[in-house]
Amino acid sequence: MKTVKLIVVGFGTIGKGTLEVLRAKHRDLMEKQGCDVRVVAICEIDGTLVNGKGVNIDSVLKAAAAGKLRDHPDWKNMKSLQAIEEIEADIVLELTPGDIKTGEPGISHIKKALECGKHVVTSNKSPIALKFQELTALAEKKGLKLRYEATVGGAIPIINLYRDSLEINKVGSIYGILNGTSNYILTKMSEEDVSLETALKEAQELGIAERDPSYDINGTDTAVKLVILANSIMGKKISYKDISVKGIQDITPDAIELAGKHGFVIKLVGDVNGLEVSPRLVPLHHPLNVSGTLNAVMLDTDIAGTLTLIGHGAGKIQTASSVLADVIDIMKDMQDS
Amino acid sequence: MKVDTVLRLKDVPGMLIKALEPISSHGGNVISVTHSREEKGLVSVHVSFKVQDQSSLNLIRRALEKQRIIISEMAIEGRTYITKKSLSFILVGHVIDTDIRDTIDRINEVGMVSGIEVVMPAPNQKSSVLMDVEIDEKSNGILLSLVEKICKEKEFLLVRSL
Repeated sequence: MKTVKLIVVGFGTIGKGTLEVLRAKHRDLMEKQGCDVRVVAICEIDGTLVNGKGVNIDSVLKAAAAGKLRDHPDWKNMKSLQAIEEIEADIVLELTPGDIKTGEPGISHIKKALECGKHVVTSNKSPIALKFQELTALAEKKGLKLRYEATVGGAIPIINLYRDSLEINKVGSIYGILNGTSNYILTKMSEEDVSLETALKEAQELGIAERDPSYDINGTDTAVKLVILANSIMGKKISYKDISVKGIQDITPDAIELAGKHGFVIKLVGDVNGLEVSPRLVPLHHPLNVSGTLNAVMLDTDIAGTLTLIGHGAGKIQTASSVLADVIDIMKDMQDS
Repeated sequence: MKVDTVLRLKDVPGMLIKALEPISSHGGNVISVTHSREEKGLVSVHVSFKVQDQSSLNLIRRALEKQRIIISEMAIEGRTYITKKSLSFILVGHVIDTDIRDTIDRINEVGMVSGIEVVMPAPNQKSSVLMDVEIDEKSNGILLSLVEKICKEKEFLLVRSL
């Protein structure tokens, strides 16, 4: 049986979720894919767990839960870039939270991995949004795969669906509800007639919104995802600055009530063709009217017609579904060649 | 000649009779009336009728417009020559204090404001205003740039339909 070695870079929510799923599905992967998937390194900000035969995922997750990762026998004082370069592996999973302005450390991790002949799967949207052309060109030049399904819409398989099943189609437009936090807030405001501040506070208490939710509220996060969809599905060559961005910060309960009275809800919509993120009136029975933290993507195509995908836009286990879909896809390619 | 129309009527008692009366009083012979309740507020009613000539039809149109009944589609002998659509949007800001009359007049130069609802929490707070505008399908882009221009000028947040 073929052994596939992974380096996991970034051990936050998505890193842990991915390892949990790998632990649960290890046997499935062997039976269905004929591959023994092993995690040979896990990079944290201040060091790396290294084990050439594969770290014991269970013991790592337990150590992390107890806050004793640095006491784990595999812990080494090795930086992520060094680990990516020196440790023998097939695929690097870049799962760090990226800085939206610089894209680092993700960009450096991805470049290093590709330069060292390793395929890359990432959930980190900033590097893909900021350096799409450069990174995809580098991967192509090296004959390697760079996959980024988890960067947009969490568990929703929009990018892979297009690549695998819709390529014959010309996509005329894509509309998306791509930010769970803002959608949760708008849903709360509309269902419970509360102010934006109250809805946000509740979202923070539930762990849905981060302590600094400004990128979710002001539309930045949606815009970054829109850049990825525009470049990867619609073949545009655009960057963040090409997008007109308006968030939900000025939406009042009155506006939401007024919309409701006339058969609409207000949603923060990413309009890929119009290169615009803005609050829009969506008819009550429209497929994009999804509630809570759900995400939705609607594609208008010339052959297949309109398609709408609805699913979890975040969550550690749900996002891991997209990360591992990309891993499996690369493994299949590795077996074919 | 046979005329097929789609009229958009307010959902209140007596509106249908009010809409049909000008047709028959100008010599139109109503062939069929069907209505569909798709959205809140307005009801689309398909009315087909036969009329003697173009001048009678003109009289009917004028009479309907006088009653502020919106003709969103009209086809004569199967050939379409009017298609209007209804657009809704919400403005959030000091919509009243920044001369709402001027806002409406400027929009009316491109389309027709057919409905308006204002929510004002307090005189010094921002109000929310929902407007319905009837517009020729081809003027959609012109209306949008006009509304965006007004919003920039008067510092409104625009929430337009999808």
